[in-house]
Amino acid sequence: MTDYEVVIGLETHIQLNTTTKIFCACKADSWEEPPNSNICPVCTGLPGVLPVLNEAAVAKGALLAAAMHSEIRLTSFFDRKNYFYPDLPKGYQISQFDMALGNGGYFDVPMPDGAVRRVSITKLHLEEDAGKTKHEHGVRYVDFNRCGVPLVEMVTGPDLRTADEAAQYLIRLRQLLRWLGISEANMEKGHLRCDANVSIRPVGSTVLNTKTEIKNVNSIEAVRAAIDKEIERQIEVVESGGRVEAWTLDWDDAHNRLNKMRSKETEADYRYFREPDLLPLELSEAWRDGVLDSLPELPLARRARFMDEYDLPEYDADILTGDKPLSEYFEAAVKAYGGDPKAVSNWIMNEVLRMRNELGISADELTLTPALLVEAIRLVDTGTINNATGKSLLGKVQESGKSPAQIVEKEGLAQVSDDSALQDAIDKIMAANPDEVASFRGGKEGLLGWFMGQVMRETRGKADPQLTRELLQKSLKGEG
Amino acid sequence: MTDEITPELFEHLVELAAFAFDPDEADYLRRELNNQLKAIHQLENVPLPDDIPPASHGVTYTAQTKAALRADEWDPCDNPEEILAQAPEVDDGYIIVPDIPQTELD
Amino acid sequence: MAILDQSAFSIAQKVQNGDLSAVEVLDAALERISAVDGKPGSLDYGDLTDEDCEKVHAFITLTADRARQLAEDVDARVRSGESVGPLAGVPLTVKDIFTVKGTPSTAASRILANFNAPYTATAVERLEAAGALTLGKVNLDEFTYGSSTESSAFQPSTRNPWDTSRVPGGSSGGSAASVAAGEALLSLGTDTAGSIRQPAAFCGVVGLKPTYGRVSRYGLIAFGSSLDCPGPVASNVRDAALMLSAMAGADPHDSTASMAPVPDYLAALGKDVKGMRIGLSPDYMQITFPDPESGELIRQDLPEEIRAATLRAADVLAGLGAEIVEDVPMPNTAYGIPAYFVISRVEAASNLHRYDGVKYGYRTKSDYRDLREMYRKTRAEGFGLQPKLRILMGMYVSAAQYSEQYYARALRVRSLIRSDFDAAFDPQGEYNVDALLTPTTPTTAFKMADIYGDSVLMQYADQLTVPANHAGIPGISLPGGLASDGLPIGIQFLAPDFAEETLFQLGQAFEDATAEADWRDARPQVLQ
Repeated sequence: MTDYEVVIGLETHIQLNTTTKIFCACKADSWEEPPNSNICPVCTGLPGVLPVLNEAAVAKGALLAAAMHSEIRLTSFFDRKNYFYPDLPKGYQISQFDMALGNGGYFDVPMPDGAVRRVSITKLHLEEDAGKTKHEHGVRYVDFNRCGVPLVEMVTGPDLRTADEAAQYLIRLRQLLRWLGISEANMEKGHLRCDANVSIRPVGSTVLNTKTEIKNVNSIEAVRAAIDKEIERQIEVVESGGRVEAWTLDWDDAHNRLNKMRSKETEADYRYFREPDLLPLELSEAWRDGVLDSLPELPLARRARFMDEYDLPEYDADILTGDKPLSEYFEAAVKAYGGDPKAVSNWIMNEVLRMRNELGISADELTLTPALLVEAIRLVDTGTINNATGKSLLGKVQESGKSPAQIVEKEGLAQVSDDSALQDAIDKIMAANPDEVASFRGGKEGLLGWFMGQVMRETRGKADPQLTRELLQKSLKGEG
Repeated sequence: MTDEITPELFEHLVELAAFAFDPDEADYLRRELNNQLKAIHQLENVPLPDDIPPASHGVTYTAQTKAALRADEWDPCDNPEEILAQAPEVDDGYIIVPDIPQTELD
Repeated sequence: MAILDQSAFSIAQKVQNGDLSAVEVLDAALERISAVDGKPGSLDYGDLTDEDCEKVHAFITLTADRARQLAEDVDARVRSGESVGPLAGVPLTVKDIFTVKGTPSTAASRILANFNAPYTATAVERLEAAGALTLGKVNLDEFTYGSSTESSAFQPSTRNPWDTSRVPGGSSGGSAASVAAGEALLSLGTDTAGSIRQPAAFCGVVGLKPTYGRVSRYGLIAFGSSLDCPGPVASNVRDAALMLSAMAGADPHDSTASMAPVPDYLAALGKDVKGMRIGLSPDYMQITFPDPESGELIRQDLPEEIRAATLRAADVLAGLGAEIVEDVPMPNTAYGIPAYFVISRVEAASNLHRYDGVKYGYRTKSDYRDLREMYRKTRAEGFGLQPKLRILMGMYVSAAQYSEQYYARALRVRSLIRSDFDAAFDPQGEYNVDALLTPTTPTTAFKMADIYGDSVLMQYADQLTVPANHAGIPGISLPGGLASDGLPIGIQFLAPDFAEETLFQLGQAFEDATAEADWRDARPQVLQ
């Protein structure tokens, strides 16, 4: 049996998080609003209307182009892509064809095996979104609320080899879009949509065989499932002596299956031509330089730097660069702390992340700022409080907005590190538990932990664990 | 002289344009198209030096005459319901159109 | 002097001063309409009666109540001492290719017959803000596709007020006829290949195609988006200048509307033309068109009367001290129509994609199994033959495999046409003309049904006007005399980008110098 290599290219549509639509002043985000309420003559394609380009869409598109190492063209053009579809009110989509805002580029995607795959970008252009249709009771319902939302269409070369790689590409793209602040990139809400081009070839071959296009693979799971299903289908077709045809397939998420779209709908000649209602988009070099200058350090670079500069393990660096606010949070804390970055990483990865996830907010929205976190860590470091108190203290800081020192003082959380007070507590516990003392002395040294717990309870958690352990051992062994 | 727009090509254009014609209309339209193409073919005799660019607009726009891009500010339409009221069929705020059939893959 | 025999300029002044009320002007206009216009165009009109054949039929939709409201508002402002605009109380018709909120905006097509625009075109909004009284929507060729107004889905189509057996020209036939018949003093038209200037010439009125981008296209139902220009139709040059002043200028709804400042056009009117250089070109004294049978090119001199009218105008200007520059070469003029056949069709086919029975306008009443069939039936039933012809041609010449051969080539030929004008107007060049003087049309108004249906010959009616649309430059058509059969002859001035002032200056000078000419006394048939 032949071994097959899979060739995948992804076509993504990215909704930019501008305030308004790309060619009119309706809201860009009208999620869950009543149908056809966020519309105007322009985005519903009434006779006589004209598009007026939104500057913010250009700026955000250019920022993405910069992040993709694309050339930002100083002169680009909008074109009409003509076809009939009920979600496309003008009967053409205003898009960019041969002279788009971005030219070329690539996206480095770290794969789970540690390798980084460079995925080429073959298209990067601005366009308008179509409306939404849903099919019910044998008819189609059309809602233009989303019509005209700015999109970047970004297409990769045939550079991905497995469904999992395709999923990784999307995961990393989603991370990047949020990092740049240009899209909410919420796949469920359609901010990031994906079509996959899939073909197979015998291992070793370099030809590009006929591909199919799978539309509507709009979650990471769907990308995996749909591509795997299509690979399986193509292999079956070829193995049974058939040929893969250039079909357009529609991924039906609810039923986990592919539907073939009617060929008449897909064999289109879009008859592209320059949009006469818009003038060429001309950008100055100064404007372009401004975009390039505003490009932040990107996730992958920051991850590498965290490993290099702070000596973090890849695991930590990856998580801490999961999103931009978190990575900035970490770095601010490290700077404020001045000590071992790994210690800061541990605190963030264990405590801060849990808190952030539970609250469902981003790191920069925490009341527990990096400075307050560091103050708490220092209290632990200096022995003013113990580790457990430190952890619970973070929650109190987040809740009250008070500084760790204030809370420790007010609640008397400073740890008991006074020998005599601790010894009193130990003596009291030993006296109350003679059986356990005997067992310990009989060799069950594992009971030390139980005694530690008793002391902590007695001191309401404030006992200095190091000192308690020492004193307990002395007392239990009869050395006290 | 054979017609440039043959009946087959004509049918293809009709399909692209989403039309349907009776034979008389089709004959008239195809004849007029071919006549217009005779005029259009004059363009082939025009000497066109390589440095002649295409002109999407006749007037050249300069930095002074070209409008700025639109600022990203929300300005809601005050009568979306009047837009919707133009639609031939509406249900619950949605515009209704006939369905588009699909084929399931086995 | 009867109210409607005065200029828009003079009426507006009187209304502003309180010497005349806007309602009185409106009533006079409505009276004139009821006297000369006959039945408005409608979709289901049967055979014409003899009486129909003697009426103008400029209107599709008369909005008298709306106009009365506007007039009363103007009068109330005048009474309360508030300022009113420079067009206060001036009756205006609007070519039914512009949207006016709350009124049918049909494009003279069945497919938009029931479309009630939810917004108003910028040009109309500005004219009404200046005090103009929009009387209603006037007829045109369906979607502006024609040069005779006969292709309107709304019949009877407009007839020429000078001879109602003849066409008014087109596509702004209703505009030109309504002004010629005195039903309105101003009309808002559009010019894509000559659609203002040609009917203005046929109807003996003034029509200006401004520079592309001088007037916003927002609310103009698009034909050829890179060519379409809204512009004034008026009975004299001053009124056209007044109207352009009121509607020109940048518009945040139209990215192609120019930011160039709008000069005071009225200020140009009295200026001396002494020393101005006026070009004449032999390339505008003939037409070239393919033989319908063989496809061979036929070159034909223009009718003597039309050439003579143009040369007479040159003499008039020379007499005022202008310098006439003869033999200005405009070698690419003959390619205007072929290039237009391609460019305008590509844009039109795309612009007409939106009429699909989904969002507005006509949807087929017959049964359909699926979406595609609904599209086909809707478009087949909703569009007339002329839009269909343009759509099919547009589909063909922009198809991926033919686009280079046709569309790309046509756009480059357009550059050549532009370069003819650049050379003629070049201040450092050999000719350095301020304006070109040409005939507006190759013929006077033709008989109804004479050419209708022959889409090639009909298009060639625009041969002398279409180069300005390709180039984007402004042009004006003025009454230049009468032919022996009593029909108006139009002369045209063409000027560089944004030099509308030059056109008004020359036009006014010509008008003043010929004020006493015999042909100025002639009145259209319907007003006799």
